[in-house]
Amino acid sequence: MSTTGTVSVPVRRRAPVLGTGLAVLLVALAAVAFLSVSLGSRSISLADVLRALSDMTVTSTDGSVTLEMRVPRTLLGILVGAALGVSGAVLQGVTRNPLADPGIMGINAGAAAFVVLAITVLGLRGISAYIWFAFLGAAVATLLVYAVASLGREGATPVKLALAGVAVTAGLTSVTTGIVMTDVDALNELRFWQVGSLAGRYAPILFGVAPFLGLGLVAALACGRSLNGLALGEDTARALGLNLARTRLLLFAVVAVLCGAATAACGPIVFVGLVVPHIARVLCGPDYRWILPYSLLLSPIALLLADIAGRVLGSPGELQVGVVLGVAGAPCFVALVRYGRMAEL
Amino acid sequence: MLSAGLVLSACGSAAEDSGSDSSGPWSFVDGSGETVKLDEIPKRIIAHAGEAAALMSFGIRPVGIYGDESVKTDPNLKDLDLDGIEILGEEWGVIDVEKAAELDPDLIVADWWPAEKAHGGFEEGVEEKSLKLAELAPVVGATQGESILSLAQGYEKLAESLGADVDDPELAADKNAFEEALSRFKEVVASKPELTVLAVSPSDDLLYVANPEYAPELLDFQEWGLKVINPDSPDKGFPYWENLSWENADKYQPDLLMIDSRQFDSTLAQAEKHPTWQTIRAAKADAIIQWPAFWLHTYGDYAQALEILADDLEKADENIGD
Amino acid sequence: MPTVTTAVRSGKTALARRSVVVTAVLGVVAFAAFVLSMMVGSVWLGAGEVLGSLFRVTVDRGTDFIVLDLRLPQATSALTVGFALGVSGTLFQQLLRNPLAAPDFVGVSSGASVAAVAGIVVYGAGGLAVPAMAVVGALVSAVLMYVLAFRDGLSGYRFILVGIGVSAFMIGVVGYLLTRADLHDARQAMHWLIGSVGQAGPTELRVLMVVLVALVPVAMLLQRQLRALELGDDLARGLGTRVEWARFALIALPVVLIGLATAVAGPIQFVALVAGPVAARLLRPAPGGVLAAGFTGAAVLLMADMVARHVLPTELPTGVVTGAVGAPYLLWLLATANREGVGG
Repeated sequence: MSTTGTVSVPVRRRAPVLGTGLAVLLVALAAVAFLSVSLGSRSISLADVLRALSDMTVTSTDGSVTLEMRVPRTLLGILVGAALGVSGAVLQGVTRNPLADPGIMGINAGAAAFVVLAITVLGLRGISAYIWFAFLGAAVATLLVYAVASLGREGATPVKLALAGVAVTAGLTSVTTGIVMTDVDALNELRFWQVGSLAGRYAPILFGVAPFLGLGLVAALACGRSLNGLALGEDTARALGLNLARTRLLLFAVVAVLCGAATAACGPIVFVGLVVPHIARVLCGPDYRWILPYSLLLSPIALLLADIAGRVLGSPGELQVGVVLGVAGAPCFVALVRYGRMAEL
Repeated sequence: MLSAGLVLSACGSAAEDSGSDSSGPWSFVDGSGETVKLDEIPKRIIAHAGEAAALMSFGIRPVGIYGDESVKTDPNLKDLDLDGIEILGEEWGVIDVEKAAELDPDLIVADWWPAEKAHGGFEEGVEEKSLKLAELAPVVGATQGESILSLAQGYEKLAESLGADVDDPELAADKNAFEEALSRFKEVVASKPELTVLAVSPSDDLLYVANPEYAPELLDFQEWGLKVINPDSPDKGFPYWENLSWENADKYQPDLLMIDSRQFDSTLAQAEKHPTWQTIRAAKADAIIQWPAFWLHTYGDYAQALEILADDLEKADENIGD
Repeated sequence: MPTVTTAVRSGKTALARRSVVVTAVLGVVAFAAFVLSMMVGSVWLGAGEVLGSLFRVTVDRGTDFIVLDLRLPQATSALTVGFALGVSGTLFQQLLRNPLAAPDFVGVSSGASVAAVAGIVVYGAGGLAVPAMAVVGALVSAVLMYVLAFRDGLSGYRFILVGIGVSAFMIGVVGYLLTRADLHDARQAMHWLIGSVGQAGPTELRVLMVVLVALVPVAMLLQRQLRALELGDDLARGLGTRVEWARFALIALPVVLIGLATAVAGPIQFVALVAGPVAARLLRPAPGGVLAAGFTGAAVLLMADMVARHVLPTELPTGVVTGAVGAPYLLWLLATANREGVGG
């Protein structure tokens, strides 16, 4: 009796606080995005950046760099970051597994392998042609990993999920490498996916994936209630009137679209989808209706910051964002295993 | 390991001089500066792709060829009849030494790369097994890196030592064609004193600007009067290029851009994906010509390349850049 | 009473005999694969020609060059790397009592790669420095994992999960090093990262062979300690085992072997994972042995290398084949594991 009271009252009281938090994050994201547009290997004065942004027409090289290179890159970073964070949150919810992550679960590797097959076997070129294969690959890898991990008496435990992900990633990477080593054209195209990166992605790629990412994000945000239901366990969820099979299928489809599109655009980017939802959970508690929007805003902040760090640290060249996140995210992962909910393992 | 005895005694038997016999002894000063001596004039030769083309232009047919790419696409081997010649490798760093051993070669011909202190095919990073090719026979070649002309001359000298009659009128025709092409090239260049040229290699992540110091054909062009721009800060570890991020693509403003002729179309398409490509005025004006960036080895090929370049330069506008 | 003891004793001798016979058979299989791998190529040779050349019975310049100069180094590299991977894999798996605790996908071999690549790329290291750095790299990442995973004892699962994290971290660092490198040849970088028996340099190979000869007897002795440790620390101590020392040696030895194997052939995946359990299954009901696992690893890698070089239309790095075969095996292991195999 008293539990319902103690739970519901603070939640209601926290709604305005959490809402304010979202607004703060939105401002922070805007600030980071502005930083990302104003920094780069070419030094452009703040005044010139602002002039380019207000004119929105390209008259000089500075304007071209700002509007045609950095703005699309930043927008893509925001969309891809959001997609990875949100899909991580959804995955963790639907598998009820704190270690679920698009990178660890081999979903990015699946997308990359299918894209390479599309390039070599079917001769497809350009992102609009092979994005569908990225979706397919992401879906296949997700289902394979989840299915293998679910076999056995105790179901999809974190360890089994992680190991199945490692195995699927290794197998698919072998296939991808095997194909690529025999096909120079594919090797050139694959350089795009080897390490996750935002470099060299301009308007055509942004426009190619934006509709899918937008749609996927909206769909994911609408799933907060279902995820809350799943979090209560199968029996309770069923009692709440949830069609478990259909809900899970829908959620996996959303994840496949988000991760497939993100990978097709930027290559494999790990750990954002794993770590950010946990930070979101610390900030706003177990309610997915809050976790999802928090992940939506926190992930692009993390991704853009890592991208900026890569540009600053790698100067005069640049360090791919996938590498920065791989190095920075792994300690978070280990900490999670050691101190988080995984500690009882 | 144990069968080092297979290596033909390149230096061991040099002391013996059989004199008048036209079949030997034979010696050649390699690009590395070392003199290679054999008892007899080598007949069975395995050569690297471009070097094979050079020997074949003087009528000497190798028994085996190894290249860095498919012999079908290698520009150095274009239009050559390779019938009966064993193909030992079509990928950099990978040579089928087992097949090569079956050919029982007397000599291996490959350019000497002074920067890497190795002959072509024996550089650092190739498969450990490929290096064993050198155990089958001595390796000689002309020096790479200073001039394409001296490369052609080097193989002329090698061919002569191997018994080719380089003064044969049919063979000399190529050389004459080269002399003519060269004088026309110089004329055209002299008529456009303001013209500047930049050799670039656009890629997905960077715009590479060629450093003529490491590109023998660009050094030749400079020597013959063409103003090929020297980039001011080549990469320290890999000084063949200056690496420009695409944000800084407009750093140099030449009148004319040169792109590697081997993958001209696909490279250009790659460049055009980047919005700042158009901030190079020459690119915007479509003043882009083919750069024969593969190491030509024969007078005939070089003559052809110079003719094409002279045509392009004749049409060029020397006021695009500045 | 006497009948029982005889029964037990004869059971024991039967098991011991089975163990010796199976190990010997595995050794013969590994040697057969070793010889076979020297028969195939652009020029096919008979087993007699290979053996004759190998043992200097026949002398034929052409055959000797192909067998001794061209094929023997690669075959030796596959044999020794496979053996080292098999031995270290089975020691890890037995110590952590988990078939998934193979040093190739917890971060040990990626740690060795990082150090070796850093040595080559950043310091221009060559010769003996590369295997030395690889061993140091493997040791550092093993210590790191041990420290990070140790919490009121060492749990196999936590060790594996931490290992996966450390591995991802190390792979990120290798990616960073390679982007900073002058390795303009993407193909070459990929070759190294996937692992290939053919890239072995003579110095690294010689070091690995010497160390293997020195350490395999040690590993066989340690196997006894392992049995004692399985009974629990207190009981082991009671039996006269110096527990801490034994555990340290049981981790250090496989780590050194993995480091050297990585220096020779790059991070080849799944051989260490597969060799131990396969050998154990063949030996059953006799207990798994270090030698048997080593022979199995050698045979697996030799065959994988033959497939990589000759069966497929283009020559591929060995790691592509071990990855493509090992991944389904790991999935099968996960899918069929019972509670004590893979809990959570």
